[in-house]
Formats: sequence, C-alpha cells, structure tokens
Amino acid sequence: MYHYIAWVVVFPIFGVIINGILGSTLQKKFGEKFVGVIGSATIGFSFLLALGIFLDMLGEPETSRSHIVEVYRWIATGGLTVNVSYLVDQLSIVMLLIVTGVSFLIHIYSIGYMHGDRGVFRFFTYLNLFVFAMLNLVLADNYLLMFLGWEGVGLCSYLLIGFWYDRKFGGVGITWTGDAGMKAFIVNRIGDFAFLIGMFLIFVNFGSFNFEAIFPGISARFGSGDATLTWITLLLFIGATGKSAQIPLYVWLPDAMAGPTPVSALIHAATMVTAGVYMIGRSAVLYALSPTTMLIVAIVGATTAIYAASMGLVQNDIKKILAYSTISQLGYMFLAMGVGAFSAGIFHLMTHAFFKALLFLGAGAVIHALHESQDIREMGGLKNFMPVTYKTFLMASLAISGIPPLAGFFSKDEILSHVYASSLWLWLVGVVTAFLTAFYIFRLFILTFEGKPRFDVHHLHVHDAPRSMLLPLWVLGILSIVGGWVGIPTSLGGGEWFDKFLEPVFDPAVARMPSIFFVEHSTEYILMVFSVLLAVGGIYLAYTAYLRKPEISAKIKSAVGDFYDVLINKYYVDEIYRAIIVKPLVYVSDRYLWRGIDETAIDGSVNGIGKFVRLVGRIGRRLQSGLVQNYILAFVLGIIIIMGYLILK
Amino acid sequence: MQFNYGDAITICPIIFMATLSLFLLVIDASIKKSANAAYWLTLAGLAIAASLTPYTYFASGNAFGGMVFTGRFPAFFDIVFITSAALTVFLSKSYLEKEGAHFGEYYALVIFGTIGMMLMASARDLIILFLGLELLSISLYVLAGYLRTDSKSNEASLKYFLLGAFATGFLLYGIALIYGTAGSTNLAVVLSRIATLQSNVVFWIGATFVFIGLGFKVSAVPFHMWVPDVYEGSPTIVSGFMSTGGKAAAFSGLVLVFSYSVHPTWQLQLIIAYVAAFTMLTGNIIAIVQQNIKRMLAYSSIAHAGYALVGIAAANDLGRTGVMYYMLAYTFMQIGAFGVVSLLESKEGRFLSLTDYEGLAYDRPFIAALMAIFMFSLAGLPPFAGFFGKYYLFASAVQANMTWLAIIGVLASIISVYFYIGVVVNMYFKELPEGIAKADISKIGVIALIVAAALTIELGITPGFVVGFTQKLF
Amino acid sequence: MISAHILTLLIFTPLVGGVLLLFFRNESVVKSIAILFSAADVALAIYLYLSFDPAGNQFQFVEEMPWITNLNISYHLGIDGISLLLVSLTTLLTLVSLVASWSSIQKRVKAFNFFILFLEVGMIGVFSSLDLFLFYIFWEAMLIPMYFIIGIWGHERRVYAAIKFFIYTMFGSLLMLVAIIWLGYYAGTLPQGKFTTNLVELYKIAPTIPLSVQTWMFLAFTLSFAIKVPVFPLHTWLPDAHTEAPMAGSVLLAGVLLKMGTYGLLRFSLPLFPQSTFIFLPLMAILAIIGILYGALVSMVQKDLKKLVAYSSVAHLGFVVLGIFAITIESIQGSVIQMVNHGFTTGMLFLLVGMLYDRRHTREINEFGGLAKVVPLLATFFMIAMLGSIGLPGLNGFVGEFLILLGSFKSEFLGNEAYAIAATLGVILAAVYMLWMYQRVFFKTVDNPRNQSLKDLDVREVAVLVVMVLFIIWIGIYPMTFLSKSEPAVKALVDTMARAKIGVLTSVR
Repeated sequence: MYHYIAWVVVFPIFGVIINGILGSTLQKKFGEKFVGVIGSATIGFSFLLALGIFLDMLGEPETSRSHIVEVYRWIATGGLTVNVSYLVDQLSIVMLLIVTGVSFLIHIYSIGYMHGDRGVFRFFTYLNLFVFAMLNLVLADNYLLMFLGWEGVGLCSYLLIGFWYDRKFGGVGITWTGDAGMKAFIVNRIGDFAFLIGMFLIFVNFGSFNFEAIFPGISARFGSGDATLTWITLLLFIGATGKSAQIPLYVWLPDAMAGPTPVSALIHAATMVTAGVYMIGRSAVLYALSPTTMLIVAIVGATTAIYAASMGLVQNDIKKILAYSTISQLGYMFLAMGVGAFSAGIFHLMTHAFFKALLFLGAGAVIHALHESQDIREMGGLKNFMPVTYKTFLMASLAISGIPPLAGFFSKDEILSHVYASSLWLWLVGVVTAFLTAFYIFRLFILTFEGKPRFDVHHLHVHDAPRSMLLPLWVLGILSIVGGWVGIPTSLGGGEWFDKFLEPVFDPAVARMPSIFFVEHSTEYILMVFSVLLAVGGIYLAYTAYLRKPEISAKIKSAVGDFYDVLINKYYVDEIYRAIIVKPLVYVSDRYLWRGIDETAIDGSVNGIGKFVRLVGRIGRRLQSGLVQNYILAFVLGIIIIMGYLILK
Repeated sequence: MQFNYGDAITICPIIFMATLSLFLLVIDASIKKSANAAYWLTLAGLAIAASLTPYTYFASGNAFGGMVFTGRFPAFFDIVFITSAALTVFLSKSYLEKEGAHFGEYYALVIFGTIGMMLMASARDLIILFLGLELLSISLYVLAGYLRTDSKSNEASLKYFLLGAFATGFLLYGIALIYGTAGSTNLAVVLSRIATLQSNVVFWIGATFVFIGLGFKVSAVPFHMWVPDVYEGSPTIVSGFMSTGGKAAAFSGLVLVFSYSVHPTWQLQLIIAYVAAFTMLTGNIIAIVQQNIKRMLAYSSIAHAGYALVGIAAANDLGRTGVMYYMLAYTFMQIGAFGVVSLLESKEGRFLSLTDYEGLAYDRPFIAALMAIFMFSLAGLPPFAGFFGKYYLFASAVQANMTWLAIIGVLASIISVYFYIGVVVNMYFKELPEGIAKADISKIGVIALIVAAALTIELGITPGFVVGFTQKLF
Repeated sequence: MISAHILTLLIFTPLVGGVLLLFFRNESVVKSIAILFSAADVALAIYLYLSFDPAGNQFQFVEEMPWITNLNISYHLGIDGISLLLVSLTTLLTLVSLVASWSSIQKRVKAFNFFILFLEVGMIGVFSSLDLFLFYIFWEAMLIPMYFIIGIWGHERRVYAAIKFFIYTMFGSLLMLVAIIWLGYYAGTLPQGKFTTNLVELYKIAPTIPLSVQTWMFLAFTLSFAIKVPVFPLHTWLPDAHTEAPMAGSVLLAGVLLKMGTYGLLRFSLPLFPQSTFIFLPLMAILAIIGILYGALVSMVQKDLKKLVAYSSVAHLGFVVLGIFAITIESIQGSVIQMVNHGFTTGMLFLLVGMLYDRRHTREINEFGGLAKVVPLLATFFMIAMLGSIGLPGLNGFVGEFLILLGSFKSEFLGNEAYAIAATLGVILAAVYMLWMYQRVFFKTVDNPRNQSLKDLDVREVAVLVVMVLFIIWIGIYPMTFLSKSEPAVKALVDTMARAKIGVLTSVR
C-alpha cells in the first residue's frame, strides 16, 4: 500500500494546478464553494490514502514498517545524487496523518470562513501548495528534499500571512499584512541559512543527504560529543528555531497572526511550526550523539516556553495570545526533544495540533461573529451567543491546561516526567509554564465567553458559525479529549501505545544517549498531581481575577507596574532587532555602499579618467596656436630631442 | 646609359599617367568649359592606369639602371594611390561645383600628385624618392589652396608649403649624409653595405633625418602641427586625398627605406616606436575635444599615422604587411569619411560642425549608415577593415618584443572610440532638429561612398586576400 | 548535411533575416520576419540540443575551414555541453524578446529588429567559436548592435549609458586582443610551432607558458571577462546599461551578454592558464562574494525598479563566479545551470518591469503599490520570477545556487568553508530586497490614482511569460535535462585543473 505514497503528495498539487490556473474563472462560474470543495477534496483524498497506508502498516511486523519509495532522480552531478524519494515509517506516517487530517478539517472550515472573499481560489491554491510542501517535508528521505518542503511551507506561510495584502496590520516596523509575511519569510531565511550550512557539513562528512546513508553505522564513525556532529546538529537546530519560532528567531510568529485565522490554525499552530520538532525527531540519532546540542535545545526550549507564556499573560488580541501560547508549547516540545524524550515530543506535537488548531478555529469563529474584532476586552459573554464555539473552546482550553483525561494532560505529563528525570531546574520551568499556560488560556476564555458582553449586542447579531465550520470544531474537540489516550502511561494502566509505535524509529537514538533516565511510578504520581494542581490553580486564579473579582487583575497590574509594560511590549525585542540590525543595514547600504562606493568612488574615478583625458586634450589644443613659428619651434624641439637620444644613447 | 623600352613597359602605369596629365593640361588650355570632360577623362584614365598595374606586378625587377624597381610592392601601392585618386576625383565634381571652383586643371594636379606617389613607391634610389615626394608635395600645395577665394584655403596652402619646404630640407640633408657615409643613394647598395655602417653614427643621423623628412609627410608627432590647419582649410575632398594617398606614399617610402634597406638599429627602432606612441596618443586625445569634423578627422589621421608607424618601428615582415594593409584599408575608410563630409557640406559651411550631424540618420539614413560604418572601421571594430589593420600592426609590435607599444596602441584606440562613436551618437541618438532643410547630395558621389564602404567591409571579412600581396618586395 | 554545418546555420540564419527585413516597409511584416527567423534559429537549437551527445567528444558539430591562411587563423566552430546550453538559451531569449517588444517598440521598428538579429549572430558566434581570433571578432562585433539598441530605444540617460557600456567593455577586450596575439606568437616560438589562435591547440600550449608571463595573460583575459560579468568593482556600467536599455535590450544584456563573461572564464581563463588561476583564485572568490553581498545590499536600497533588478544581477553573477573558481564539478555545474537560470529569471523580471513600464511609463517603486489588485496576472508572474530568482527550492534558482554553494563549501581549491558560508548570506539578502520591493509594488492598497486603471497582461505577453515560467519550473524540479548535457565538459575541465594543481602539466615543460 505504501507504494502509493507519492499520490498522497500529488493530490494537493492537482488542487494547486486546478485552482491556480482556472481558479478565478471557476470561482466566477461556479462560486467560491466549488473552488473550496476542490481544494478540500484533494486534501481529503490524501488523508484517506494516508489512513489506508497507516492501517496497512499496522498489519506489518514492527521491524519492517519502514519503506523508501523512490519517485525520480532530482539532482545528480559530480559526487552528489539526490532523489525525490519518500520515507514511509512510523514517524512520517504519524506526521502524515496529523498534517493531512488537520489540514482537511481546516480546509472545510475555510470554505465557510473565507465565504465572500474575492480571492478564495487564491486562498485554496496557497493552502494546497502548503500541504504539498509540508508533505514533502515530513516524507522526504533526505535532507535536501526536506529542505524543499522546509522552504516551501515558509513560502506558503508568507503568501498566506499577506493574503489580505491590502489590509493594515499593527506591529513594530509593520504597517501592512504583507510586511508581516515578509518578516516571517526573512526571519525563516535566517534560520535556513544555518540549516543550509548544516546540510553542507553533512554532505562533506557523509557524502550524501539520504537518511539511510547517514544514520545507520554513524556511531562507527563518530563518537558521542564529536565536534562535527555538534556543529551539524546545532546548525540544523538554528534552522528549527526559525521555522518553529524559538528564541531568538521567534519574533515572526506573533506578527504572522496577520493572516486569515484558518491559516494561523493550520500553519502557525498545528503543522508548519512543528516542522523543527519533527526535524529533530527525524535526526534523533545525530542529536543523541551530541549532548551539547541536546542541552542547548532543552534550555532554549524551556526558556522559550516560559518566556512566551509570560508575554501571553497580558496580550489583549485573542490571536496574539494564542500565538504566544503556540511558541510556548513549541518550547515544550523542544524541551522534550532536548532531554531525549523524542516520542514524548512528537506526542505533544500531535495533541497540541488538535487543541491549538481548535483554539484558533474557535477564535476565528468569534472574530468572524464580531466582524473582525480581535480585542478580548471588547468581547465577553459569548457563551450564550455561540454555544458550540463555547463548548469546543472549553474542551481545548482544558486540554492545553493539562487537565486529565484530556489530550494535553498525557503529553505534557510525559514530557514533564522525562524532564524531571534529567534536570530539576528545567522541570521547574516546565511546571511554572504549565501554570502560566492554564492562567492565560483561561483569562482568554473567560474574557471571551463569560461575564457580560462588552460589545454592541444590538447592532452585531452574533451567532454561531455555519455548520460547515462547526463540524471541524466538533471533530477537533473530540480529538482534544481522546487524542491523548493513545499514550496513557503504564503508571495509569495505559499501554503507552504511542511510544511503542514509534520505538523502532527512536530506539537507535535512545540507545546512543549517554544516559537514559527512569522515573519510579511513585514519583510519577507525585509529579502528575503536582502539575494538575498547578493547572487547576492557574484556572482558578484566572477565574477569580477576571470574573469573580475583576479588581484583583487591576491590582496585579499596578503591582507589577513597569514589568507589565515590558510584557505588553514583548520585552521590546522587536524594537531592539530593528534598531541594531534592520536600520543600520539599510542606512549603510544606501549611504555608503550605493552612493558612497558605487556612485562616488567607482563611477567617480571611471568618469574621472574620461575627464582627465579631455583636459589633456584641451591643453594640447591650446598648443595648436595656428602660428607657423610655433609649429617650426615644435618641429625643431622634436629634432633636438630625437638627435639627443640618438647620439647620447 | 641608353633608353630601354623594356624598362619603359615595366613602369607603364607611371608613363601613362604622365601622358594623361599632360593631355589634361592641353585640353584644359585649349577647350573652354573642359571641366566635365576632364572629369570623365581622368576617371577613364585612372581606370586604364589601374588595369596596367598588373604589368608592373609581374614584370618584377629593377629598371633604369636600378633607379626604380617594379614588382609586387609598387603594384600594390599603385593600386592604393589610384584608388585614392579615383575616389577623390569621383567625389570632387559635385563638391567643386558646390564650391564654384570646378576647373580642369584640378584633375591634372591630382594626377601629378598621383604620379609623385607612384614614383615614391617604386623608388630604388633615394633621389627618386625625393623626386616623387616633391612632385607629390607641390601638387598638394596647390590643391590645398585650390579655393582661391577662400582665405582659409590659402592659409592652408601657405602653411603647408612653408613647413613642407622645411621638412624637405631635412630629407635632403639626410640623403646627403647617407650618400656621404654609404657612398651611394641607391637603397640596394646601401643595404649591401649596411653591415659596415652599423656603428657609423653619422649614417644613422642621416637615416634619422630621412625618417623625420618622411615623418613630416605622414604627420608624425611632433611634426604634425600643420595637419589640422591644412586639412581644415583645404577643400574637404583634397584633405581626403592628402590624408590617404599622400600619407600612403610617405609610408611606402618609409617601408622602402627602413624596412627593406636601412634596417634600423634598436635605438632608431625605439625612436620610431616612441614617435609612434606619442603620435597615437596625441592624435586621439586632441581629437576628442574637436568641434569641427574636419579637424577631428585631421587629428584622427595623425593618430592613424601613429598606428602605421608601429609597423615601421617593429621593422619585421608582419609590420610591413600591417602598414601596407592598413594603407589600403585606411584609404577606403578615411576617404569615405571625408567624402561624406564633402557630400553634405554646404557652401555656408553647414555639416562642418559635429553638432550639424544630429539626427542625420533620420534625415539621410543611408548616408548616416555609411558614415557609421566608416566611423566603426576607423575605431577599429571588427568585422571592418580598420580592425584587421590594427590587428596586424599590434601583432607586429608583439612579434618585435614591443608589447608595450601594442598596449599603448590599444589604449589609444579606446580613447579614439570615444569620438568616433560620438559622431554616431549625434547621427543616431539625437533627434533631428526642427525645420532643417533636407541635406542635398549628389547621387554620383554616393556611388563612390558605397564602393568605399563595401570594400571597408570586404577587406574586413577576407583580409587574407590582400595580405597575400604584401608579402614580398618584388 | 544539416548537422555538418548546423552551427554556421545557427549563426547566420538571423543575419539573413536581418538583411531580408530591410527590404520591407510594412512594420508588422518586418516584425514577423524577425520573429520567423529567430524562431527558425530556436528550431535549429532544439535539433542541436537533441542531437548533442554528452558521451561523445568534448567538442561536437565542429566546423573548420581556413580563413586567414597566412596567419593560420581559421573559421573554427564547435560546442561542448556548456556552450550548448548557452546557445540554446540565446536563441530562445532572442525570440522571446522579439515577441515581447512587438508593441513596446514604436519608433524605427525596422532598425530595431535588424539590430536584435545582428546581436544574435554575435552572441551565438561567441559561444560556438573555437578560434580565439574568431571569438574576438564576434565578441567585439556584438557591441555595435547592443550599443545602438541602448542608444536609440533606451530611456532618458541612454546616451551616457550606451557610451559607458561601449567603452567599458572595449577597454577590457582590447587588452584581451593583445593577449590573444601574444599567445599566438608564443605558440609560434615553440619548436616546430607556428602562430595559431586555435583554441584546441592552445589548450595544450598555453599552460606551459612561464608563470611570470602566464599571469599577465590570465589578467588580460580575465579583466575583459570580469568587466562583462561584471565582477565587483568593474560593475558600474551594468546598472546604467540595464536600466536605460529598452526591455528587449535589458533581457538580452542580462540573459546572455553577462554570461559571455562567465563563459569566457570557463572556456579560456581557467583551462588556458591553470597555474595563474590558482594564484588569483582567492582574489576572484573574494570579489565574487563581495559582489554577492554588495550587489544584494545595494539593490535593496534602489528606488528604481529596473535598477534594483540590475543590481540583483551583480549578486547572481557573483554566485556564478564563485562557483567557477571553486573548481568542483558540483560548483561549476551549478554555475552553468545558474547562468541559464539567471537568463530566465532575471530576463523574465526585466520583461515584467518592461511591461509595467509600457503601462505606467515609470520605474519608480514609490509610484506603484497595490498593483496585485489591478494587474493580478502580472503580479502572479512577477511572484514566480521573483521566487525563482531568490532561489526557492523547487524552482530553478535553487538548483544553481545550492550546487554552487555546496561545491564551494567542499572545494579543495578554495580550501576554506568561509567562502561558501559568506556567500550563503546572500541567500538571506536576496529574499530581503526582492520581497521588500514586491511588498511596495504589488501589495498594499492602490493609493496612486494613476495605477487605478492599468490593464492586465494580454495574450501575447502571457504567452511569452508562460515560456519562461515553464523553464523556471522545469529546471527547478527536473534539472537533469540540462545538467546531464554539461556534466562531461565540466568534469573534463575540473580534471584538467586538478592535474595542473598536482603539476603534471607543468612538468611536461
């Protein structure tokens, strides 16, 4: 069955071609729905096929579940040979299902959401193109093809962030949505720069980009902590910080919220931003052998998690809050990867895809209902107006807060227990983040759905979204609840089915880890209880501060004072980047490089030579006085010089 | 020694030309309004003379007791001179009529000049060389001042005469010194004794004087000062004649003396090389700042003399080939350029200033195209004749271990590009000024230009053909 | 029969067309003739492409007949894989630019079409001559038409640009001429050797030249190529020429003429003077990298759309030069494919800018804004070209840049990863200047009333652009069609250089 893997990738391209070339006509003729249906259908097919391949794989013996399907030879010259060929194994199939599945739901949601937009065909073209790129990213059997997907998703993110290119969008140095898209693309490129260098290093050391040429037998060539591997993994990780919005390259994600909400849900929450995590998972073997990088990954992850969460606390834009939450959750995943809990990281990646997508879609429904208003201070009391959105949003909020038995609980708990085993400090950061997460998500939830409406009830006829948009909400809602059950830890009598499923992929890596940590069930219980308590605490705090005693929130605000401003201004990082990188670069290029070197120095001297020659010419012309005497004089002088030379030499 | 018919046959073109010139004088004296007759007669005569050159070509050897010689070399140059004269004559009629000075004796003078040139090219004896030079010079003095009523023309004539006389003096003195040291004025004899003369300073002084004398004619720096004034003042078409035929003749002399006979010492070679370098640079640099096209072409002709001198300085086979090829190529492009000017030029002197050429391409597209070809060829761009000329000359320099000279030549030609394409800029890139009367031109003249242009291209595409004739002296 | 003289046919078919069209008055007839003949050339090129056998001899379709016998100069043509690609590119781009200029050239149509065809003769000639002298003739002759194209149909400062272009280029090439002559004579001075400009023979002779002289030869050749490429700091003719030239002129300048420089480096500088190549290799690499970063930064701050694209060429060609001097199969293959890429992407960008100019008669970036709404088709094509040029994987630019960077990274000749790493920064900057420009021109709202009612592309324009797009994607997803053709030639070159490095060639002396 896996032979058909190429089709999973190709279907979306059909969508791209149809909508890309005929889209505008189709939309005029048969309406937006038609275009949307085409877009969604292609993904639907991909999903079904992926599901088929998955079920087929379950039938196969654990050891022989990894297959490589070569499609064609892409680039081959000199010592380099790169094929377009796909690696179907447990890891990629999981990603495959997440990507196609969530995408499919969001495509359907988009049909309703984008209703009435003149560019629907464009929207679905981009969306399909994104899925195509993302599938290449997760299915590639070599780094170069992965990089194709890697940059491809970046492109689609750029196109979709700036989808409403004629709309303004507020941000540091940003006035239009397009600027936000640009920022995203460029920041990603900075990451990709490192990624490229990493790939070069790989090629120089392994003579190939193919995973099966690199991972097996690697420990024969490189010992743990080898400098080369450290560099490779580090550079790849820098690439990941760009794609997955980690410190220091996270800055683009909040601004990416300029895009239509389904885009934020699909690209900037569920799929693309997790690419970095996937990449590390895929390269687990390399990372396992470079403890230094692992530590860095863990620290960056942890720091990002708490740092982003702290900014999420005070934002008032519903989508911005979710954006920071996403960054923070991604931090969680990297933390997991960093401590070697690869399958835990992937597990959280999956559950997060469910509930974060749901949160965004919910937010989208709200924004839609409130006519593009995104400020939670102007919402409130929506639960009576939009019951379905309310219910599903609640499921997601509980899930992300890590309330058992929802999806988030299991994944987060698994990560935390691993972290605890490797480092107490990182664990502390983790749990604090968990607390903050619970708080800010419920702050958002309460301010949006509870309390009294703070918007004009009479003029805005707020109501739930159409059925086509609610369906995805429900599905994701259910997934946010049951999604975690595939990974119930043994301590709770579960089978850790998910870990077992991925084991064949990660075992080689885990085997090479310098040290593997185990936690006693007893400790594990304590940890669980602790984190759950914290989550509940966070929720309770939010509940009191924003519903029961609003004055408290004001108190806190005044208490922290300046720090509040720092948070609301996102630690002024954007400003700093702008001041020390963007502005100087433009100034120097304009003032010195172009006007200075090019126009003055080089052209100046070039034209200078010309001027000089003309000057000499003018002088020579003067000598041409027209008087025969002078001519004779020159004549004689000439003779004297020549004769002098002839005789003296 | 008694007269020998065999000898007479070998130089039959010269003899024929001589009779033609006398005949022209006679009819001019006897018939009124003979100008047109003389015009056609001259053309016909030149055609016949050209058809006679093969005799000289094949009947190679010395004649008249070794005073003159015949063979490849003279024949080649005869062709150059006759072409130059023919193109000049062709273009003269319309021009002179415009200037209101169309008389028969003009053609006689042209022929006299041509005879002088032909004599120089076939001189085996310095005396003959001198004879030819004088014959050539005197007729050119007169031609320069041919527009009696035009003060500039008179000035030109006078300046040319004064300086020319001065230069001739040096030539004579040089000849005298050579005679004194070598004991003969016969180039063959000098050649046979050259070995013994190597260390003889006086001999070399003499040789140098000869070089200076001829250098004046080819307008080598610093003996070039007369050129701009004379070319500007003289009737445009005469300037064309001077700068091609006249120059070619002087170069034939230089080749005969310095390349075939008195093979210069390294010192003299260097002197010639320096002169060449200065000539190339001076000509081109000053040409850049000229406003008047005739002066510009005058300076450009100085520069081109410089290029040709490179070949003399190299003093090797390739240099010789280069000079000879270049003279032929140069004849076409230079007369072409002057011809265009003469055709367009009006009595009031329009089309003498470079600015008059603005937008010409949209007034007289065909003429402009021809001019463009001549300019690109003069600038030395392939695939035109000018390029190959330069190629051979610079190649000769490289062969003679004077790569530096080749490089100077190259730099000089880059400078030259500026003013040559400057003309093209005016013709093509500027718009035609409003309310300008369409320049009127004579059809017959255009034919001459077409021929010149065609050959400029042809020589560029198959240079090998011409080069074949330049290999040997006899 | 055809394949015996196919190169001659390729070279002179346009000339025939050019002369033929001079006899017609009706402008559309003239245009049609020009298009017809250049199309014929494309057909010939396709035939050539298909019948070229990568496994065969290094030079194929060789034609040799004596020309200037007494100087042993012959009319000697022949192509290898590298020339093959460039010749094909030339024919295609000529056709494209003729079709594209159908309506944008209003005055002196006849002359315009004549010069374009005349130019094609020179361009193909340069890529297919195996005699230095012949090469030089084509190299110089090609200046004339381009000079007229810029000067007559160009924009405001066209005269300045034309003269600058002409003299700048002439300067370099004349020094090259002296070097060519010198080479010929050196060959003559060898035992039983005689003057020759036959490239194939000089390949054997030149490397044996004493290093002291070889260095000068190398410099003379490389200077003229470096000006053409252009390599920093000899690039300042380019922004003026590209900006002032008419659409077709810019397309051919960027698409083909610049490649002559890099082609020259590959065909002459390296294989003829390997020893001195190694001496100047670091310098050239550094200049290339400066070109990449500098070109990108300068184009970032341009206010003139066309100038921006022009400066981007400096950056792109910088990659090519780096690849060439890295001397690995990967990098040089990358350079070759990148030459082709640049022809399509930048050529297409110039087409689009030109089409924009035809509609709006300005190139000022600030004059635009929000065009994506007014001219969606144009915006889409522009987006594709842009993505191709910033090296997005899946499009042509990536293949070239990646191979170049990968090759330079592993190159023993460069011997230091720093070069490649520095160059890779250019990949970021490319995104910066292109995206920023796109943002200002096509995104945002239409605030300038003069942009309100621009009409979108017509069928002819779309047809032209689609051709370009097809290649941009083709090279991106299946570059093997092209890489496989040039592989053997490149491999041969790299081997020669490698052997020279270990001194086999020098010991033959």
